[in-house]
Amino acid sequence: MKRREAIKRTAAIMGGVIFAPSILGVLKGCTATGDSWNPVLFNREQASLTKVLSETILPETDTAGAIEVGVPGFIEKMVNEVYSEEQRIGFLDGLDLFNSDCLNATGNDFADLSTDEKLEYAIEKNSVAVSNETPGAPNFFLLFKELTMVGYFTSEVGATQVLRYEPVPGFYDGCMPFEEVGRTWAT
Amino acid sequence: MNSNIRARNKNSYDAIVVGTGISGGWAAKELTEKGLNTLVLERGRDVKHVDDYPTMLKDPWELPNNDRLSAEELKDYEKQNRTGYTVRESTKHWWVKDTDQPYEEVKPFNWIRGYHVGGRSIMWGRQSYRLSPMDFEANAKDGIGVDWPIRYSDLEDWYSYVERFAGISGRAEGLTQLPDSVFQPPMDLNCLEEHFKESIKERFDRMLTIGRVANLTEPKDGRGLCMHRNLCIRGCPYGGYFSSNASTLPAAAATGNMTLRPHSIVNSVLYDEETGKASGVEVIDSETGEMIEYYSKIIFLNASTVNTTLIMLNSRSNRFPNGLGNDSEELGHNMMDHHLSVGASGQFDGFKDKYYWGRRPNGFYIPRYRNLSDNNRDYIRGFGYQGGGSRESWVSAVRELAVGRQLKEFVQTPGTWTLGMGGFGETLPDHSNRMYLDFYKTDKWGQPTVVFDCELKENELLMRRDMMNDAAEMLEASGFKNISTYDSQPPPGHGIHEMGTARMGRDPKTSVLNGWNQIHSVKNVFVTDGSCMTSSACQNPSLTYMALTARAANFATEELKKGNL
Repeated sequence: MKRREAIKRTAAIMGGVIFAPSILGVLKGCTATGDSWNPVLFNREQASLTKVLSETILPETDTAGAIEVGVPGFIEKMVNEVYSEEQRIGFLDGLDLFNSDCLNATGNDFADLSTDEKLEYAIEKNSVAVSNETPGAPNFFLLFKELTMVGYFTSEVGATQVLRYEPVPGFYDGCMPFEEVGRTWAT
Repeated sequence: MNSNIRARNKNSYDAIVVGTGISGGWAAKELTEKGLNTLVLERGRDVKHVDDYPTMLKDPWELPNNDRLSAEELKDYEKQNRTGYTVRESTKHWWVKDTDQPYEEVKPFNWIRGYHVGGRSIMWGRQSYRLSPMDFEANAKDGIGVDWPIRYSDLEDWYSYVERFAGISGRAEGLTQLPDSVFQPPMDLNCLEEHFKESIKERFDRMLTIGRVANLTEPKDGRGLCMHRNLCIRGCPYGGYFSSNASTLPAAAATGNMTLRPHSIVNSVLYDEETGKASGVEVIDSETGEMIEYYSKIIFLNASTVNTTLIMLNSRSNRFPNGLGNDSEELGHNMMDHHLSVGASGQFDGFKDKYYWGRRPNGFYIPRYRNLSDNNRDYIRGFGYQGGGSRESWVSAVRELAVGRQLKEFVQTPGTWTLGMGGFGETLPDHSNRMYLDFYKTDKWGQPTVVFDCELKENELLMRRDMMNDAAEMLEASGFKNISTYDSQPPPGHGIHEMGTARMGRDPKTSVLNGWNQIHSVKNVFVTDGSCMTSSACQNPSLTYMALTARAANFATEELKKGNL
């Protein structure tokens, strides 16, 4: 019984990390809305930050970047339609605070940093967020990263070109060499 | 008078089946195949197989907002969405709107349901297990509730009969506590599940087997193979899993003996004081509000546990002032569900060069191992586990250090193997766990409101400690790391396995139905959905409803021929 109690206590600690509060509860599908985005909720600064930050997190490489697959519009639509009023306000505040923090730290708006500086700043923000996240207190950067990833990897480009997607697998093989699949399943 | 007789003749059938879900579909199939002219009533809209599965082929990027409903739209589904997984953009058409179909809770109760042809057979989990000899004897042995009026041997051949038609994939394991079905070939376990299986066999002498699931691994009667898309809940274009729409209702329609009438809310069963039998049902047309009577020699109530009980409680007459067949006053009582959402998960270092192909709509099953030969825990009965192993996906990279180009590369390799499992526990029948009707608060069709007053009792709560700790113990002994336990303590109903409110029994004084699912005191009314269950066992119940329904329907047609009904 002692061993069991120990396991339970470990779980109480680990639970907060593994199941950190987020919208990831269930993950399936999305629509990234393409490049023709006309913001309806975000102001100009918020929209601009959403574009450059999502593109910094998932940039164009040999595959399209976040902006091209429509992630900024996806993020705004999720925040505007799916989020509760409280979550929405928290997210908008988070965007504003991210910009003012950046201005204080670098003397520039995030959008005005060079590509390398943007990446460096985002890596730093991500690193702090990952190590300091506390259960019950959603971290803005991780929320934004998560929305970016959900929008991107459930888009056709993200699912089929970066990851692997089979609409009709046809059968199940429970144990095969990873090389034969090649990339992580999108779903 | 003449026009009344004409109306009566026009609205007369050999049999009426109320409901088109798993048990109603079976009643329709069996009765029509035996040559009975059968009216099948469904309170919701029609759903044609394939034609009416609007989201079955949608790719992820074709669904707005990550398949989530807007906060505004979700307000209509507050209770239906309590599971956290049921209501999605791709599935919202399968669930009632709570704003249209309210119910009341003295204590929290999740009543999750959809009103349409096929009912929950479209959205069900498809896990299919026989009850065992031990399960049918348990109440008598423990002095709990009432004794089942039947034994496993009464149902064994009917299990085989329905399995041959439905198509259940699984592996024969020869267990006493979980009899084998007539199986189609089993689906695969994956690498980690195989490891876990061997480990718990060796260390605990416990069995792990692939889930027994109503998905086809061989084609059957015009239905195609499961394509391992794992989108069953949207309706399957291949007919790859058992649903009324894909299986029983087409068979019933093919006989030419079925009249299917959607938009038909059965308000009550008509009781004839002179004959001592039911003469038909009173239907509200949900579109026009018109009240129509239909007549028949026999009636099968398959409206699902809660709605069948509602109909019976609402069928009040001089003979039955408290509801049809309710001499025992047990109607609405003894509500059971399977208690769940308790278990553990963990990570496993290894198999890093291994992956899998396909989205298996199934997991593993650990059959009950507690209290098999004698009761040696601080609770009676037991539980089984359902679970699955997989590699963490791109989702886990949210909390990794990678950003930018590095993140794109990072997600292309799948993450750590993880395995999670949750218990499905037997719930004891308890008279105080009940549903009843508020006749003063009616819905837009004038129907009384269902009120739930149910809770988990001591036996279930004690069992849950084992359900959580055993899972962690097995994972730990099998080399898992970062083991995490959970008990989210959902209210009853969360298992979506409502059972027991019109139970079968030997004595009319303490039960509602007899051993043939006939109302003790109204022999031409048969009840074969979950409301008939005398005990819950811990296995998913739908396969048992199928077998009980086929058995009762064949008995009913024999009795009808003999002139006994």
